[in-house]
Amino acid sequence: MKIEDRLSVLNYKTDKSYAHITVKPDICETCPDHFCTFACPANCYTLIEGKLNFKYEDCVECGTCDVACAHGSVTWTNTKGAHGIKYKFG
Amino acid sequence: MSEFDAIVIGAGPAGASAAIRLASSKKNVLLVEKSDPPGSKNVSGGVLWGSSLSSIIPDWEKSAPVERFVDTKSVAFLTQDSKIGIDFSSKKLQQKKTGYTVLRAKLDQWLARKAKEAGAMVINGVTVEKLHMENGKVTGVEQGGDVITSDAVILCEGANPRVAIDSGLHKRLSDRDVAIGVKEVITLPEATINERFHLKSGAGFACEYVLGYLQNGVEAGGFLYTNKDSISVGIVVSMSHLRENDATHSFDIIESFTGHPYIAPLLEGGNMQEYSAHLVQEGGIGSMPKLYGNGYMIAGDSAGFSFSNGLVLQGMNYAIDSGIIAADTFIEASKGMDYSESALKLYQDRLESSYVMKDMRTFKGIENVTWSPFVHKKVPAMLESLMLNLFMEEGKPKKHMTGMLLDAMSENDMLKASSIMEAYRMMRRM
Repeated sequence: MKIEDRLSVLNYKTDKSYAHITVKPDICETCPDHFCTFACPANCYTLIEGKLNFKYEDCVECGTCDVACAHGSVTWTNTKGAHGIKYKFG
Repeated sequence: MSEFDAIVIGAGPAGASAAIRLASSKKNVLLVEKSDPPGSKNVSGGVLWGSSLSSIIPDWEKSAPVERFVDTKSVAFLTQDSKIGIDFSSKKLQQKKTGYTVLRAKLDQWLARKAKEAGAMVINGVTVEKLHMENGKVTGVEQGGDVITSDAVILCEGANPRVAIDSGLHKRLSDRDVAIGVKEVITLPEATINERFHLKSGAGFACEYVLGYLQNGVEAGGFLYTNKDSISVGIVVSMSHLRENDATHSFDIIESFTGHPYIAPLLEGGNMQEYSAHLVQEGGIGSMPKLYGNGYMIAGDSAGFSFSNGLVLQGMNYAIDSGIIAADTFIEASKGMDYSESALKLYQDRLESSYVMKDMRTFKGIENVTWSPFVHKKVPAMLESLMLNLFMEEGKPKKHMTGMLLDAMSENDMLKASSIMEAYRMMRRM
């Protein structure tokens, strides 16, 4: 099963006004490893024509990217107001 | 005068247990949880081992939303083509139940309800942004500019403790502290699960796997647990090995596991209902923060309490007991109205005399065993050669077991002095 299909079964209450994770594009541009693209279990970090693309909407809030990024690009905060992932099983 | 005696951040097993204990002792306690309902952001494997809950909820085995008791516990090595495992099934596990499979969205919601019933105030959907500090002492929490005050705060944020990190009470997590857990919940009819795993109603199967087939230095463990009418299946992948590899997606590793020739048939016909991920504490005692200070204590995963020796994974039992010990410490400290660092040192002392810290100390360095090429590559390959030699009948004279074992070890480079030392160290740490 593709990761996109796996993510499609999940429920989110997306916070349209607040991105709980942000990246600094200037750091990502010169990143030698882009380890985030391999580590993130929700495929939020992808390379499009060599450029890092990040989308917080699919994030499952595991915290992996904050550990994975060794270059200080990721700013990680908790979601607010019960936004974000909503697991039924957990 | 504080608004609350104590504030507990996080309604997982640690936080809810602390809140239940505090409220049961007539303390005015606030349990703050960022998800709504509680549990809807929480993930674990998960088997709840032990009976830690019995001291706060005596009838928990009857009333908690547990899935199945563990009747068969297995461990197995997987290679590309083979599975080499040990199954342990016992009537003794039916008589004295030692582990239950659980789903955290259900369990944690129930625990939060128990906290409420005990008299705690539980607020959901509120994210604590930071700790409120006065004169170097934690005196409450802050959210959206609002301050809620308390005599002390118990931080039970789980494996990704943002408030503790942002407040400087916990160092930033690194590769050596955590692994990446990725899981799927696959529904199947209860009768199909019973039949497929040879289980009677209510009984469950739990297995941990070493994924010996992974290539290029990637190391991961797998798990498969039966719930009532679903299966929890997932992997725990080492962050540092994945980083060194820098070419394998974490989400592809779980796919390789669920697609393995000896895992896929167990899941066949099921519906993948949930995909989830969570950090897993792996660093042992070396990853532990300072557990207490002026006006605060840290419990559960946030404190680094977890145990894995490759045969069993535990965390919720440590969470529950550390939460209870933190609550008891608060209750003791409240007698003298002293929540200073020196008063709350009692928390560390009590943990030290409990199995929580004793286990952390006994198994110091175990992560170097569970995450090693020896366990992840050499042992699975050697066991596969040994088994093949044992069961291949080619009409040739046979060797004694010891001869076959030595051959298998030699084929896999395990007779070198360095490998023998490695095996010895491994056994000592387990």
